[in-house]
Amino acid sequence: MSSLTAAGLAKAKGQGVKRSDLLPYLGSKLAAALVSFMVTLVIGFVLFSLMPADPVRTLTRGRPTSEAQLVQIRLQLGLDDPIWQRFLTFVGNTLKGELGYSWQFQQSVSSLVLDRLGPTLLLTGTATVLSIALGLWLGIRSGWRHGSLFDRIASGTSLMLWSVPTFWLGMILLVAFSVGIGPIPSLLPAGGMSDPSLPQEGWAHVVDVAKHLVLPSLTMVLVVFAQYVTVMRTSIIDEMGSPYLLTARAKGLTDDAVRRRHAVPNALLPSVTMIFMHLGILVSGAITVESVYSWPGLGYLTYEALRIPDLPLLQGTFIVFSASVIIMNLLADVVYRFLDPRVRAQ
Amino acid sequence: MGTGNSRHKLAALAACALSGSLLAGTALAAGPAASAASASAASQETTLRVKMSGSGVDTLNPFLAFFDGAYDVFAAIYPTLNSLDETGKPGPYLADSWTQSDDKLTWTFKIRDGLKWSDGTPLTAEDAAWTLNLITTDAVAGTANGSLVSNFESVTAPDATTLVIKTKEPQANVTYVSVPRSGIPIVPKHIWESQAEHLKDYKNDTFPVVGYGPWTLTDYKPEQYAKFDANKDFILGKPGFDHMVQQSFKSVDAAVAALRSGQLDYINGVNPTQFKALQADKSLLTIQEVGNGWTGLEINYNARTRTGKKIGTGHPALGDPVLRHAIALATDRQTLVNKVRDGLAVVGAGYLPPAWPQWVWKPAPGEETPFDLDQANKILDDAGYTKGGDGVRVDPKSGKPLELRLGIHSDDTDDAGISNYLKGWLETIGVKLKIQTLSMSALNSDLAKGDWDLLMDGWTTGPDPTFLLGIQTCAALPKDDGTAGNTDSFFCDKDYDELFKKQLTTFDLDERAKTVGEMQSILYKADVNQMHFNANHLDVVRTDTVTGVIIGQPDAQGMYPAQSYAFWGYLKATPATAKVTAAKEESGGSALWIGGAVLLVVLVGGGIALKRRSGADDRE
Repeated sequence: MSSLTAAGLAKAKGQGVKRSDLLPYLGSKLAAALVSFMVTLVIGFVLFSLMPADPVRTLTRGRPTSEAQLVQIRLQLGLDDPIWQRFLTFVGNTLKGELGYSWQFQQSVSSLVLDRLGPTLLLTGTATVLSIALGLWLGIRSGWRHGSLFDRIASGTSLMLWSVPTFWLGMILLVAFSVGIGPIPSLLPAGGMSDPSLPQEGWAHVVDVAKHLVLPSLTMVLVVFAQYVTVMRTSIIDEMGSPYLLTARAKGLTDDAVRRRHAVPNALLPSVTMIFMHLGILVSGAITVESVYSWPGLGYLTYEALRIPDLPLLQGTFIVFSASVIIMNLLADVVYRFLDPRVRAQ
Repeated sequence: MGTGNSRHKLAALAACALSGSLLAGTALAAGPAASAASASAASQETTLRVKMSGSGVDTLNPFLAFFDGAYDVFAAIYPTLNSLDETGKPGPYLADSWTQSDDKLTWTFKIRDGLKWSDGTPLTAEDAAWTLNLITTDAVAGTANGSLVSNFESVTAPDATTLVIKTKEPQANVTYVSVPRSGIPIVPKHIWESQAEHLKDYKNDTFPVVGYGPWTLTDYKPEQYAKFDANKDFILGKPGFDHMVQQSFKSVDAAVAALRSGQLDYINGVNPTQFKALQADKSLLTIQEVGNGWTGLEINYNARTRTGKKIGTGHPALGDPVLRHAIALATDRQTLVNKVRDGLAVVGAGYLPPAWPQWVWKPAPGEETPFDLDQANKILDDAGYTKGGDGVRVDPKSGKPLELRLGIHSDDTDDAGISNYLKGWLETIGVKLKIQTLSMSALNSDLAKGDWDLLMDGWTTGPDPTFLLGIQTCAALPKDDGTAGNTDSFFCDKDYDELFKKQLTTFDLDERAKTVGEMQSILYKADVNQMHFNANHLDVVRTDTVTGVIIGQPDAQGMYPAQSYAFWGYLKATPATAKVTAAKEESGGSALWIGGAVLLVVLVGGGIALKRRSGADDRE
């Protein structure tokens, strides 16, 4: 009786330890994320403020501007305020959820970011999902039969495409599918997110956007999917000599089942890390692809901010990008805990 | 069996995954040319599709906008007091006539009667007076165009058809103050009056935007497009198209692809490589306009403030006219035109570009600076710039070697090309160049602080040269505390300043042009702003979809008048008769190829599936 009670207590105590472990784990990760965010805030402000730049002169380059105008614009932009005051305003605004006011677009940074968030996520999200699906599938197959013709073709092709400059590949695809080469006619639009001469709502618009999405997302997929192929292939190869696979085969499982049920789940962890890393940078868009295909995304917005430089816009996008990466890393830590028992045990 | 089924599913999945994007693309693609053609055939309405200006639209609020793309939109949807003819001379628009008082301080504009804003409200002189007064009196309203009215004493509208502008000092360029694109757009008072107090926050994005012009703005999506409807009652002529779309392209290569595939009708501004490549395409018309800008070298003329306090880190020897002239002698402008611009430019000399012929100045015969490396070496030798052991000359006054920084724009291929030639030429005369590739903003920052030796620079200008001439005056130097000032090279010359004031108050065009010519002569001889070339503006038009978009006749060299102020071109463009037929043919071809592509994908996918099935059976 007493032993049962002791065992029962121990069991209860053990479960209690597991539950109470999760909260400190989450707490510590959350605290670390907050500290990271605050540090990036400071770094972002300092870095951008140190940039050698004359935003007023660059902004007004296209118009006749008098001395009085230049003074007025500097005043409006707050460029004559001491740096500590600008820093406090920046931190205060950020904590209130305000991202400031763009100098060049004369509107709030948050509205600019929100305007471009949808197109960005549509492009990078589509490309990421396709890259993950294609990359993991090819990686698993290549790793499982490494050295085979399939492996050599898949690995070689993906690595070659990974080495190709994105801008160049984009231009080639643009010429091939939009302009057409030789007997191949123009199949897809050259740029933009939609055809302005068509209605901007309804199914026709959805189809139109899908047409415009094909080339930019295809470019991104072709350049990115090799990472998944390489990581997944390497992980699978690492797992192939493991005794548990021998055991699984000894139990009579088919080759396919051994791969799917045993090898892949264990080989998936490095890819999960990479997926979350990519999810973190989804919102930062893809400057080169957006430039080639005139896609109205956040990546190109950041480039435009850098040209002036439009400090509030730069800082605003920097905050959004940083927060996104930090949140995704935090999620990756949490998901890891569920996927990998070793993390729970630590 | 189960394994076999899963294999088949996976094989099918594999085929889909490998060909998914292509399949989706081809299935969805009805062909851009086809869609445009069907839309136009169905509605019988025509749309002019042009590339939006490269800088895009920063804001639709005309009191705050700085970017060219925004002024293209304003020129289409808001009226101005005057229009501009092909040579940039003011003509009638809202005002059909104007007179000056004897003391040259009062201008009276007669405003046309019976005009209406797009919402039906009468358009009167009061709208113009309110707009100009707001910019004159309100600092925020003057953000973008305050300098244009800084000499205005008052603007009144005694009646609906009379506008009276009184200036503080006589001002010769009042008829340039409100012109399409480079001047002030007049806005409807009844719409904007309620926004005046919070002008900074007003985005002006309620569509259709109330205005008056050849077009009405019906929709705008940032970084994507601006859509317009034609104003069939426009006073200066009915637009030839029913609609116009200005589409944003971040890369000119993509815009060229869109033009070639039939998604665009006209691109104003391609680079020489694209231009030459497109010349072979029979469906396209490629034309060169006289340039409205210059590309050249700025020399740090001993940077200093208005009180003469020296600032910056410029090389002291650059204050010596001999060294500056040697640099000019060592620059082969014709080679730059041939190699950097592929011959599509005019060798530079005068400070004002050839687009506005009334201001063009050239050095008199015998006064031109030739390309002469021997002469450059000789004048440096004579002035005591001796060469060191490394071949680099030394400034006899400061003892510093002639090692100069050359700042170039990181995003400008012309700068990169020119700098390489300059580096070689200057090395042969004992001047060593260190090329610094910087962003425009960083270059501007260095420029203002005087932290530079040589800079690649470029400016474009509208038909009134006042601002461009003004940045070379002593008044453009910075204050002692480093603020204000918009100088371009720290040039300061009393004679030049006197002439600048004189031309401001010279009302006779020929007399003013003569004064402006004298100013350009001073600049030329000072060798501080060395003009390399005036790049021709290069345009491409689809001849099967549009005609009449190019205004004017070519000269003996085949050069057209400046089209960059596309106001007239967009107004006078009309659809080409061959459009629908050509588009239908193209559409038929597209459908054929789409069918072929889908068939190919199905065959490849099926092949892969069968191959996988056979492989699976073998392993089992």
